[in-house]
Amino acid sequence: MTEKDYNESVLLYADNVYRFIVKNLRHTEDAEDIVQSAFEKLWIHKDNVEPLKAKSYLFTVAYHLLIDHTRKANRITLQESFENDTQTAYQENKALKKVLHDALATLNETQRSLVLLKDYEGYSYEEIGEITKLTTDQVRVYLHRARLKLRSYLISPQQVL
Amino acid sequence: MQNISLHNYQDFLLRYIDGELDLRETEDLLAFVALHPEAQEELELLQSTKLDIETITCPSKALLYKNIFPVIVEPTTIVYPNKQKLFKKEKEKAPVVLLKWWAVAAAAVFLFMMVRYGMLDQKAGSTVSKNSISKNKNAKESPIAVVKNNVPTNNSTTNNPDANTVSMAAAKVEIRQNGISKNTLEYRTVQNIEPTTIPTASTVTARETIQNIPSYNGDIIDVKPTVIAEITVPSMPENDETTETIETIDTEAASSNRSVMVGAFEIDKDKFRGLFRKANALFKNKENNKNEK
Repeated sequence: MTEKDYNESVLLYADNVYRFIVKNLRHTEDAEDIVQSAFEKLWIHKDNVEPLKAKSYLFTVAYHLLIDHTRKANRITLQESFENDTQTAYQENKALKKVLHDALATLNETQRSLVLLKDYEGYSYEEIGEITKLTTDQVRVYLHRARLKLRSYLISPQQVL
Repeated sequence: MQNISLHNYQDFLLRYIDGELDLRETEDLLAFVALHPEAQEELELLQSTKLDIETITCPSKALLYKNIFPVIVEPTTIVYPNKQKLFKKEKEKAPVVLLKWWAVAAAAVFLFMMVRYGMLDQKAGSTVSKNSISKNKNAKESPIAVVKNNVPTNNSTTNNPDANTVSMAAAKVEIRQNGISKNTLEYRTVQNIEPTTIPTASTVTARETIQNIPSYNGDIIDVKPTVIAEITVPSMPENDETTETIETIDTEAASSNRSVMVGAFEIDKDKFRGLFRKANALFKNKENNKNEK
C-alpha cells in the first residue's frame, strides 16, 4: 500500500480501531496508545499489506496488542472497579444499553473482542478468526458463549457476578 | 441442512443475531419463532445483547497521518510596547533644480561679458586695480622688462630699419610706468641681466639702461605688460639724451598677454572664446532645430 492508502486507512479505520480498543479496555489513554502502535506497525509494513486488507490488518494488530496489554495490567483492580460500576448501575435502574455495556466488561478479552468485532465491525466468523487467530468454529462457540453470558447478565446481573 | 427444533433453535437464534444465516435458514427460523412463544422471548433477549453501533472518535487521529496534515502550531503574538518610538520620519530633501538651456546660456553670456569687459580694461591699460598687483609679488613673478626713456611712441623705434638690437630674452625686468608723469620710469627688479654682444657703439645694454633709470618714487601704477622682443636703440648721437628707448621683449610675455585676470584668477582668453563659440553654436543649432520642427 502507498502512503495515500495508509492515510486513507487512517481516515476510515482509526475510529473503528479506537472504539474496539476503548470498549475492551475502558481506558482511553491506553486505547490511544494501542491505536497508535497499530497504525505505526501498519506504516512500517505498508509495503507488504494490500489496501483491501488494511482494516483486518489493523484489527489484528490492535487485538494482539490488546491481549498483551491486558495480560500485563492489573486485572484485579479493573475487576473491582467494574463491580462497583455494575452494582451502581443496576441499583439505579439505568437503561438497558448502559447495563449491557457494563455486562460487556464481565466477559474475558477474547469473548469481548469477538462481540465487539461482530457487532461493531460486522466481521464474519471467518474474518474474526483471521484477526484473532482462531478457527471459525472457535469464533462461533466463543461468541455464542459470550451472548448467553450477556443475556444472563441482563436477566440477573447478581447471578452472573 | 439441519431442521430447526426445540433442541437446537437457540443455536439458530445466535447465528441469526450474528447475521450468519442464509436467506432460507432465516425464513425457517422466523417461521419457527412465530410458532413458539418461548423461542420468541429468547430471540428478544438475545437481540438485546447485540451492541448498538456508536460513533467514537479517536482523539489522536491527526497524529496518525503521515506527511500530510502537518500539525500547525499557532505562533504566539508578542507585541513590543514601545513600538511608536521606533518610527522615524525621513528629513525632507532639498529640491533638485534642473538646469535648463536658457539658464546655461545666461551664465555663459554673463561670463562672456565679464571676460569681455576685463579685456577692454586691460587694453585701456589704466584701469587695473592696485590690489591685484603688489610690489614684491610682481617683482618676482612678472618676467617682462620694459624700459622706456622719454620716447613718445614705440613705433618710432621699431619702425626704424637701422635700429640696433640687443637680445634681452634672459632679462627679467619690470618697470612700472607712472601714469601721471610718463617721463618717470619705475625700476622694480633686475635679475640675470646678461648683455650680449653690442654690435655698435650706439647700442645700449639693459644694465646700462637700467642704471640710467631714475629712482623709484614709491608710486604703484598699473602697467600693461608689453611684449617686446628686442631692445632697440636708434642710431643717434650719444649726446642726445632725450630719445633713448629700450624695450624689452620676452616670449613669455606674449603668452601672458593672452591671459585675462578675472578676480584673482588668470584665464586664457582664447580658451574662453572657443568655449563661447561652441556654446553659441549649440544654442543656434537648437533654435534652428526648433524652428524646423
